[in-house]
This record gives sequence, structure tokens and C-alpha cells, in this order.
Amino acid sequence: MLAQQLLNGLVVSGVYALFSLGFTLVFGIQRILNLAHGAIFMTGAMVAFYTVKGGGPLWLGFILAILASGALSVLVEIVCFRRLRKTGDEEFGGIISSIGAGLVITTIAQQVSSTQVLRFPFETFPVVIFKFWGLRVSMLQLFMAGAAIILVLILGYYVYRTAFGRRIRAVTDNEHAAMLMGINPNFVYSQTYFLAGALAGAAGVLVGLAFNSITFLMGEPYLMFAFAIIILGGLGSIPGALLASLVFGMVQTLTIAYLPSGLTDTIIFASLFLILLVRPHGILGKEDAGNLRGRR
Amino acid sequence: MSGIIAGYLPLFDLYLIHVGLAFSQYIVLRAGVFSLATAAFAGIGAYTAGIFAVNLGLHPAIGLLAGTLTGMGAAIFLSIPLARLRGVYQAIATVAFIQICLSLNVYSESLTGGAMGLNNIPKTVGTGTLFVFAALATYMIWAIERGRLGRAFNAIRQDEAVAASLGISITRHQMLAFAISGALAGLFGGLEAYHAYALDPNQFGFHLLITILSYVILGGRNTVLGPLVGCAILIILPELARPLAENRMVIYGVMLIVVINYVPKGIVDTALDAIRARRLKMREETVS
Repeated sequence: MLAQQLLNGLVVSGVYALFSLGFTLVFGIQRILNLAHGAIFMTGAMVAFYTVKGGGPLWLGFILAILASGALSVLVEIVCFRRLRKTGDEEFGGIISSIGAGLVITTIAQQVSSTQVLRFPFETFPVVIFKFWGLRVSMLQLFMAGAAIILVLILGYYVYRTAFGRRIRAVTDNEHAAMLMGINPNFVYSQTYFLAGALAGAAGVLVGLAFNSITFLMGEPYLMFAFAIIILGGLGSIPGALLASLVFGMVQTLTIAYLPSGLTDTIIFASLFLILLVRPHGILGKEDAGNLRGRR
Repeated sequence: MSGIIAGYLPLFDLYLIHVGLAFSQYIVLRAGVFSLATAAFAGIGAYTAGIFAVNLGLHPAIGLLAGTLTGMGAAIFLSIPLARLRGVYQAIATVAFIQICLSLNVYSESLTGGAMGLNNIPKTVGTGTLFVFAALATYMIWAIERGRLGRAFNAIRQDEAVAASLGISITRHQMLAFAISGALAGLFGGLEAYHAYALDPNQFGFHLLITILSYVILGGRNTVLGPLVGCAILIILPELARPLAENRMVIYGVMLIVVINYVPKGIVDTALDAIRARRLKMREETVS
């Protein structure tokens, strides 16, 4: 029973990692908390659903979802944040602006889906269950874990091994110095937002498949959990977000399995509060938490 | 004629309650605290008042007092850990606080009615009472703004280091701002409970947070008039344009993006600044 729960927790962790990596990437590079991230996640699920409904295969839906949510994320950056960064009020303004973007996207999705719960047609993803060592694993779970691992590896390679990744890290460290080295920060920002949105969109499709229920509000709980994850991992830290997703997915699965069900959220958010108190910069974050100004 | 007025009375009541909540949000932002916890304080106040009336059968005045005090108590309690955090971290912590309140509310079903909400609250508060309390709240905020406290809040918001060097205790002032915010939210939450017959846990969640924040952002964060005007516009606008009422949240969203990007101070503050600048210019012209 415990091993089974741990296994389920591992799969859930993968989805959380995809969602919160983009969230923390954007925060790391711009110091902006993008509250529209949940809506972008939801868009991914919706695009995949409508592709499948329109007769397309699932893999096409998956790719379209990634592209669409990446593009939407770039759009959010250009419309909501670009002007704010010039005025230097992005910390407060960014939250307000992205709440606005999230509202617009979710309301449009609400109208498109007529406020209904959308479900993939039966057998969109083959229901196959493997059994070994007394554990039950579905093909879908394997696919989710596999997709999460591959996407995270791609992201890691991109950020830590390519010239583009060096540019991202340069701009994260110091935008002004990066500009002097001939890096166009706006271009780097657009690429980062695309990556963040694409990962969120992929997570959206996986969650949509796993629970087979897609609603316009499905991003909201994930956004709340992502708060807890990126605080735990340290705002802006990629390895931190990965580690925290793992811890969070496990803890959540175990609390649901072994503690009174109504209290899961209370425990999660109370522990978020405790982390903020004891170690505001998280497990792997830098120590400048709470002192975000003076970076430029 | 009176029929038309009676038709709009519920809207006016909503305005009066939301003005109080907007002031609760306004006062923390003014003190430089990025707290979004007003929705939670309002929920705490509303449920306390509701439970006092339904379960204990006490007089509404006692219920309102209890709502105000619990709202204030929760705010003071919250301000202690928040004093160590700044900016985005404060915002996240207060959102987490709202989530904790929501899930505890649903969990403690025997006391709060859980997901079913709290029903059959006797309606004891009318437009008159609401108006008196909204006027009192406006006066209180205005008085704070004119006095030493308002200037101290301004100093803290603009530069904490300077404020501290002037002998303004940041922790104490921010705790005070929290206490005022919590008391206002608790009071108007309680009024909402006695005005609406029933309470629903999700009423005090993310949606209310966004609504209240929109009032303050649209109106302005530096004058009493800001929340008053912002609240009026956002409540009347969907009524004037009925076909748009369904898309109320799109209006809110677009408005938030446009205002924070192009009129970041809010419309009232920007207008007041423009008027002041013009007056100054005219005075210079008459002098020369």
C-alpha cells in the first residue's frame, strides 16, 4: 500500500515539476510572479481536448497544446509585463497585471467550454495496466512520468548546456551587464516565457488525461500548489523547484491517503507558511529573499 | 420614481459593503504591505457574526462587535510572521492564509455549515445601517490620512530605511495597518452576514480578493476618494452595459492590465495630480 502510494506520488510529482519549473523560471529571470500561469496550463488541456474532439490524434493535440500555451505565455509577457518593466514597478504591478491576464483567459475558456466539464472520448489513451511486485501501474502513469522526465531533461539541457541557456542565466544574474555583452533581453524573455508556457501546457494535457476532466478553473489549485512548491524550493531556483515538486507530490499523496481528507489543503498551506517563516529563501534558494530590489 | 430607486437599492447596499472592504485593502497597501488577506478577514468576521446570531441567538450589535474583534485579532496574529517578509513573499503568504481559512471553514462543518454554508441568518441590517458604517469607515480612513499616521504610512511605503531613520517603527506601524484592515474587513463581513441571510465559504475566496483589489487599483492607492470611486465604477459599469454583465470578469481583467500599465497610480490619483499640476502652472503664470 505504501509503495503504491509512493509510486502514485512520483507520477504526480512529475506534473507538478512541469508546472512549477516554468513558474520559477519566469520568477528567476524577471522577478515577476506570473499568476496567469494557471490559465496557460488550462489552455494546454483545452487545446488538446478540442484537437482530439475535432478528430485529430492525441499526439497532435499534445504538440499543438505545447505550441499554443507557449505562444499564449509569450503574448502575456508582451502585453502585461513589458511596459511595467520599464517603469520598474514590476513586483507589484506584475501580480496585478497577471491576475488580469488570468481572468481574461479563464473567462474566454469558460465561454468556449460553456462552463462544462470536458472529458476526452473513451480510450483516447489506451487503458492498459501493468502489474509487478504487487504494484499496479497504468500505461498512462508511465506515459506521464516519461513525458515529465524527458521534458525536464530537455529543459535542463537547454538552460545549462546551450548558448541560449547561458544567455538566460546571464540575464537572470544581471540584465544590464548582459545587455552590455550584446544580449537582447527582450528576446531572451520571450524565449523563457515560451519555455515556461510550453511546459505548463504539457502539464495541462497530462492532468487532463489523468483525471479526464477539463474545466476552465482547473489551473487554480495547481497555481496555489506551485506557490508552495517554488517557495519550498527557493524562488527562481530550477533544481530547487524539481526537488520541491518531488517532496510536495509525495507529501500530498501521503496526506490524502492517510490523513482526514478535508485537511490536506490546510496542512499544505500551513506548512508553506512555516517554510516562509523559518527559511523564506527555500531549500536551495539564494539568501536574498525579501530583498528583491537592488538587482539592477 | 421610487420604483427605480428601490430597484437599485441592492446595488447600493453592495456598494456600501464593498467600500468598507476596499478600505480594508487600501490601508495595508498604503502602509507598504502587500497583503491580500482582506477576503479572509471578511470571511472570519462574517462567519463569527453569523454563528453568534444563528447558534447563540445574540443581538446583532454583539455579533458585529465580535466579527470586528476576530477580524482584527486574526490580522494582528498574521502581521507577526508577515513582518519578516516583503513584497511577493507577503502576497504569497496572505494567499496561503486565505486558502487555510477556506479549507478550515469547509472542514469544520459542525460550526460553519461546511460546504453548505451558513443559512437562516436573521436579516437585521438595512441600507441605513450600512450607510452609517460606510460613512464612519470613510471618515476614519480620511482622518488617518490627514494625521501623523498617514504621513508615517507614506514614509514607510516610499522608503523603509528612511522611515526607520526618522524614528518610525516599521513593525509597529505595519501591525497597526493590519489591525485596522482586519477590523474593517471583519466589520463589513459581519454586516454582509446580517444583510444577506446566508453565507457561502467560497464567497470569501480568490474571487473576492480580485474584486476588492480591482477597486483599489482602478481608483487609486493614495487618497480616500480612490477606493470610493473605483468601487462605484466597477459596480455600476456592468449594470449600465447589461450585455457586458456576463463578461464582467473580462472587463475586470482588461481593466487591471490597462490601468496598471498606463495609469499605474489609479484614475483618481492621476486626475488629482493633473489638477494640482495645472493649478501650480496657473499660479506661476499669475506670479510672472
